[in-house]
Amino acid sequence: MEFYIKVLEITCLHTILVLGAYLMTGLTGLFSLGQGGFVSIGAYTAAIAFLHFNVPFPIAILMAVLMGSVVGFLIGIPTLRLHRDYFLLVTFGFGEMVRAALLHLAQLTGGALGIAGIPKQVDLPMIHVSILFITILIYNLKRSRFGRNCIAIRDDELAASLMGINVYSHKMKVFILGSAITSYGGALYAFLIMFIEPNLFNWLESAKLIIITFVGGVNSIIGAIIASVVYYSFGEFFRFVDVWRDVLLALAVLFVTIFRPGGIFGSWELSLKNLLPWRVKKI
Amino acid sequence: MEYQILLQQIFNGISLGGVYALEAVGFGIIFNILKFSNFSHSGVVAITAYLGFFISKYVYTNFLVTLTITTLAGGFIGVMIEKLIFRPIRLKGAPLTLFLVNSITAAMLVQQFFAATLGDDYYPYPVFMKQTSINLGTLTISKTYTLMLIISGLILLLLTLVLKRTKIGIALRAASTDVRTPSLMGVNIDFVISVAFFIAGVLGGITGYLLGMTYSVDPFIGSMILKGIIAAIIGGMGSLGGGVIAGLLLGVAESLLIAEIGSSLTQIAIYSGIFVLLLIRPEGIGGKRYLIKA
Repeated sequence: MEFYIKVLEITCLHTILVLGAYLMTGLTGLFSLGQGGFVSIGAYTAAIAFLHFNVPFPIAILMAVLMGSVVGFLIGIPTLRLHRDYFLLVTFGFGEMVRAALLHLAQLTGGALGIAGIPKQVDLPMIHVSILFITILIYNLKRSRFGRNCIAIRDDELAASLMGINVYSHKMKVFILGSAITSYGGALYAFLIMFIEPNLFNWLESAKLIIITFVGGVNSIIGAIIASVVYYSFGEFFRFVDVWRDVLLALAVLFVTIFRPGGIFGSWELSLKNLLPWRVKKI
Repeated sequence: MEYQILLQQIFNGISLGGVYALEAVGFGIIFNILKFSNFSHSGVVAITAYLGFFISKYVYTNFLVTLTITTLAGGFIGVMIEKLIFRPIRLKGAPLTLFLVNSITAAMLVQQFFAATLGDDYYPYPVFMKQTSINLGTLTISKTYTLMLIISGLILLLLTLVLKRTKIGIALRAASTDVRTPSLMGVNIDFVISVAFFIAGVLGGITGYLLGMTYSVDPFIGSMILKGIIAAIIGGMGSLGGGVIAGLLLGVAESLLIAEIGSSLTQIAIYSGIFVLLLIRPEGIGGKRYLIKA
């Protein structure tokens, strides 16, 4: 039983990160390979505040989120004006820079040894409430005017800006919110697995978050959640295929993108209207 | 720093920069035509690095034969990647983001495949030369680095000739301006794209072999390509000449910085340098301002 709870915890935690990636990539079309950087920033901020400065747990989490948003804002100022591929590569550079900085600032971060001995403060209900909260937030955001503007930016940036949408400010807001969610996930991560190190999240993990969003369906929050739950729990349950897990994921992604470019769930959303056929309005 | 060490570092930097330039050009040639960042280039590099190791170790081929085989294999793999992964979605008219996702996925597939099958072991190439260094007065020059420099230089020269003088080169350059118009002029655009992937693959094959020879082969050798991608950004995407210059600069800067301040600070210095550069000049050194066309 303990094992299943553990699997569920890890899986759900990654789902928070996937939701952060969904907000950026799925909703607004920002390809950020620096998600790992934000995860590390969140995890390290919370852990250092808690262990070295004796900050209480909720405030440590809050500090992590704040730190993530501020860094997101600072990184966003130069990078969000860039064209998509440049943005991708610069955020990638950001992730690597965070990793190198964590290794270098050994007095504060413990260098390559990482930080051990973080007490376990996070349990399953807390993660579930977080997921529920973030999902509702993103779902409402997607249905709002702001969210529709973001989708317009994702589909065609030029057309969106011609319609009078301020592309830069929309991207900035989404980027800050996404960084905040990702750092929040990182902070929870530190207090869940009780040990953090600089190589916790490399660029491949960041790329996986984006890839999972695409497999689930770029337009579907529920698709992203299901894809993430299936992928991460699959890896935990089948430890013996662990090394092959990413190979299988990659093959699955290629098949999905080739045969179903919109993702498995396309733009299908879980709602009462979709589940109960008699609720569909007759046209 | 003494000036001898300085000279030596600069020489090593230029040789390494030559490989970065090869990577940057292989990366840029695809970006020019299809306008997406081709991360799958790292897959080609990794596969050819392993291939070079296995044939030189077990078939006992000499330096040149191995290089030729890996080069051709690289071109073949490049074409296969295009046919299997990118052509289906290109024909469906998928958005550019999907190309990006597929190329990252392909890079991940190769890397994780090697990690799963060959483990995290290191495979050192056999030594091709008896004497590993040449003494030039007071300078000691590594033969591997000299070879690297000569090969990269020759290949880049050859590529320039192909792009400037041959018919397919003209077609490639036309396609980089606009993919659709040349097909109206009777150019077989599928073929041109295949050729572009072939050339990128050839460059990737050479890169993989040189990197494998200089370092040792492990599943993460593909991530060495990132230096080439950085060079491509600094040089300006879409400008092959800029990529070459940026690659050389990056190589020299890197080897000088590593000698001076150590490798972990070098990473930070290089990435912050890119941030500053992109703040001042978002289009890179030699790039034209990228216009988004409807």
